[in-house]
Amino acid sequence: MQTALQFGPILVHLDLLLRGLEKSIQLAALSILFGTAIGVLGAVGRSFGPRFLSWPIAAYVEMIRNTPLLIQLYFVFFSLPLFGFKLSSNTAAVVALSIHLGAYATEILRAGIEAIPEGQIEAAKSLGLSRYRIIRHVVLVPAARAVYPSLSAQFILQIMGTSIVGAIAAEELTAVANNLVMQTFRSFEVYIVIAIIYFVLVQAASLFFAGIGKLMFRWKV
Amino acid sequence: MRTFLRDAMLAGIVLALSALLPSIASAQSVDEIISRGKLVVAIDTTTPPYGFLDANLKPTGFDIEVANKMGEALGVPVEFVTVTSPGRIPALLTKQVDAVISIFSITPARAIQIDYSIPYAGQSAVVIAPKSTSIKGVADLVGKKVGLTRGTGEDGLLTKAAEANPGIEILRFDDYSSLLQAMVSGQIDAMGGGDYGEIYLKKAGNGDAFEQKYVLKTFYFGIGVAKGNDNLRQWVNTWLFTMKADGTLDALSMKYRNQPLPVLPVF
Repeated sequence: MQTALQFGPILVHLDLLLRGLEKSIQLAALSILFGTAIGVLGAVGRSFGPRFLSWPIAAYVEMIRNTPLLIQLYFVFFSLPLFGFKLSSNTAAVVALSIHLGAYATEILRAGIEAIPEGQIEAAKSLGLSRYRIIRHVVLVPAARAVYPSLSAQFILQIMGTSIVGAIAAEELTAVANNLVMQTFRSFEVYIVIAIIYFVLVQAASLFFAGIGKLMFRWKV
Repeated sequence: MRTFLRDAMLAGIVLALSALLPSIASAQSVDEIISRGKLVVAIDTTTPPYGFLDANLKPTGFDIEVANKMGEALGVPVEFVTVTSPGRIPALLTKQVDAVISIFSITPARAIQIDYSIPYAGQSAVVIAPKSTSIKGVADLVGKKVGLTRGTGEDGLLTKAAEANPGIEILRFDDYSSLLQAMVSGQIDAMGGGDYGEIYLKKAGNGDAFEQKYVLKTFYFGIGVAKGNDNLRQWVNTWLFTMKADGTLDALSMKYRNQPLPVLPVF
């Protein structure tokens, strides 16, 4: 019986895997961008908004955080068409991933906002800063700085979360890998190769997020 | 080719092991089966609607009924031996069974090791789409989203078609139920699947709106017997001829596949 690992049949398809990687990065980048935007709006809305705004946001956060990402993907791709919203695999993946990250980012940023001492806001008020400038400069930016490590950990999870969107036929890295398994029957080798690719991707992303953090939050406390 | 190699490899291993086994079940002729008083048939119970377990965990399905009818015709009870798909050839090579009745597609590679009866059933990989769309062949799929299940026969056939006809967008799903859901929700314009796929689309809701458009490829199932057992094979062929002529096989197909059998050529 042949048991030795053979990477040859997989490496000839490296271009396919790299195209899958490109799609994974694209999905992760777009959903991190939109998800963070949702998170900022959600956190501010929940902390400073009127009740009719903060309650629906709380409901959204609970709904998303208490259901699996896979179900959310299915809902966006298979169920929304019944209500007239037909999204392509990729768009549906970005929408579901963004909504997913948005809920977590809302909670993470809200935790940072809650941690801002009341005195800091009162000091800003007494200096005559406008409400917008208080929220933006006195609350949001220090809050984001405080929670940036956990936010970037969530981004990393988001990158790995893209590996399940093959379920709605988006051809990201894992889906391409599964295609290769079916063609070559060399599942072990294929999964080793994509594990290495993911590892390098996530390591690079960690460094990238750390760099962004250093750039954005340069000042000393 | 790969399945052939796997079959051959398994066959080799099982053949080597079988030298250790004392009991030899398989009969060399029809007379032997009758005098022994039982027919031993290999089946697979994981291939609905052909072979599966009913609510009482009893084997049932198209293939199982065919096996029972074969026993009836010989006047002996049938003993079932459950095998998996790669275990079908070894079951014959090691003389554990008289016949294999288990969606056993007829291929020249397999026929090197075992003998086939004439086809008793067949199944087509087909393209299914809403009744409202007009699809007569590959050319009509250009510009459409075509769904399929990753790694199936349809995957190979339609992926090739898409390479030859740019503009066909292939969407691969992990399982059949996701594929059906995509079809029902309109996320894909057409799908590749087995010719009984409509049954499941009907169950999924508005399935009446879908129909088979064209056949990608038809697979024919034969009853496998040990290599060189011409005595049994000739009897099986004769019996299958009568089963086809009196409509028994078509009736079984209607019962389990909700449609008659495809045209079954003989050899």
